[in-house]
Amino acid sequence: MSKSEPFDLEPTVAGDVSVVGGLALGEKLPTLEQVRGPGAPRRFPLAAVETVVGRGQQAHVTIESALLSRRHVLFRRHGPELSLVDLDSANGVFLNGVKAHAALLHEGDTIQVGDVVFVLHEAPA
Amino acid sequence: MSAPIFVRFWGTRGSIPTPGHKTRRYGGNTSCVEIHSAESELVCDGGTGLRELGLELLQRKQPPRSMHLFFSHMHWDHIQGFPFFVPAYAPENELTVYDPGSGRVEELLQGQMRSDYFPVNFNDLGAKIRTRHFDAQATRVDDFEVRCFEQAHPGRSFGYAFELGGKKIVYATDSELDRLLVNRDETERDPEKLRRLPSELVAFVAGADLLIADGQYTDAEYPKKVGWGHARASTVADLAHQGGVKQCALFHHDPLHSDELVDQKIAAARARLAAHGSSTLVFGAREGLELKF
Ligand SMILES: [Zn+2]
Ligand SMILES: [Zn+2]
Repeated sequence: MSKSEPFDLEPTVAGDVSVVGGLALGEKLPTLEQVRGPGAPRRFPLAAVETVVGRGQQAHVTIESALLSRRHVLFRRHGPELSLVDLDSANGVFLNGVKAHAALLHEGDTIQVGDVVFVLHEAPA
Repeated sequence: MSAPIFVRFWGTRGSIPTPGHKTRRYGGNTSCVEIHSAESELVCDGGTGLRELGLELLQRKQPPRSMHLFFSHMHWDHIQGFPFFVPAYAPENELTVYDPGSGRVEELLQGQMRSDYFPVNFNDLGAKIRTRHFDAQATRVDDFEVRCFEQAHPGRSFGYAFELGGKKIVYATDSELDRLLVNRDETERDPEKLRRLPSELVAFVAGADLLIADGQYTDAEYPKKVGWGHARASTVADLAHQGGVKQCALFHHDPLHSDELVDQKIAAARARLAAHGSSTLVFGAREGLELKF
């Protein structure tokens, strides 16, 4: 006979009720600061739980660059965490210069997609 | 193009977990790296990062039923996540644990689950757990070909090379590379000089798409840590360069190192590689980072 796990499997999210779309009310939005590429400089607050960046109409953030795939990279908020996933783009996603398939993101991270460079701000002033 | 290999860092810290704001970026969980393809689920070491890997596997659309665990050695920071690895509790799962050294891997995993230490006994785990002996010969593990090699660490440790479809990933943590140098006198006179590692070790990492290697210390720290069983980042960089490694992830970060200190360690390793005229890219292994090959 096997015993069950002596610990909880369900992650507990503190303050569940005050979380809207994965972000606590009143909290500042994580923001992509575009520092290079077509349209720079500009800022994209990551308001939705999922934000797709690409050159196509299906992307939430559209950037006119031939080096981007239609749906290039997905940014996803999960509670206080922010992650990215390469959506099988042709030219890849580079996190601080390293080609990444997926990653947890932190303040000051540099994300390059094609000729577009973002700097991530977790909670900008 | 062959099926891709995914490599994900679940724990990158050496020696002991280091939660807290100083280590957020590189992470505080101890050694655990997942290597998986469409067919295989391989796990290198069972440090505290293994707990979160187990939870994530449950969330997958098709959780793997068969998993392979490769332990570099059985020091705490490489096994402590195992009792919290949820898939080990499910009767439908099968875990294969590889034992390249002592023949005591299963006994030692059991030991840390004795009732004095932990409420569930190893023998009460639901999954089928079997130990597979491992030697220097290449061994087939699902679609991977795996080799192991012995390293320089108190009480022994082993590195592993995983190959699939012409791609090669090497996991080599807890090894004091400076004890293996073949030109030690020369490099003591001139620390900038390329530190030469034994040809068998260089062959082991040769041509790797990714070398994950213990690079715990800075050059300033290492003289006080000789004999502790860990490498300085600069010597790891030299090994990676000699092996023509494409990318090298510095791993097993020192528990005293803040994110900023790890950044400095990486910057120094990059400067050293640039001075060698190397094309190897070195970076810091960080929790949550997944690479695709
Ligand atoms: Zn260790
Ligand atoms: Zn050790």
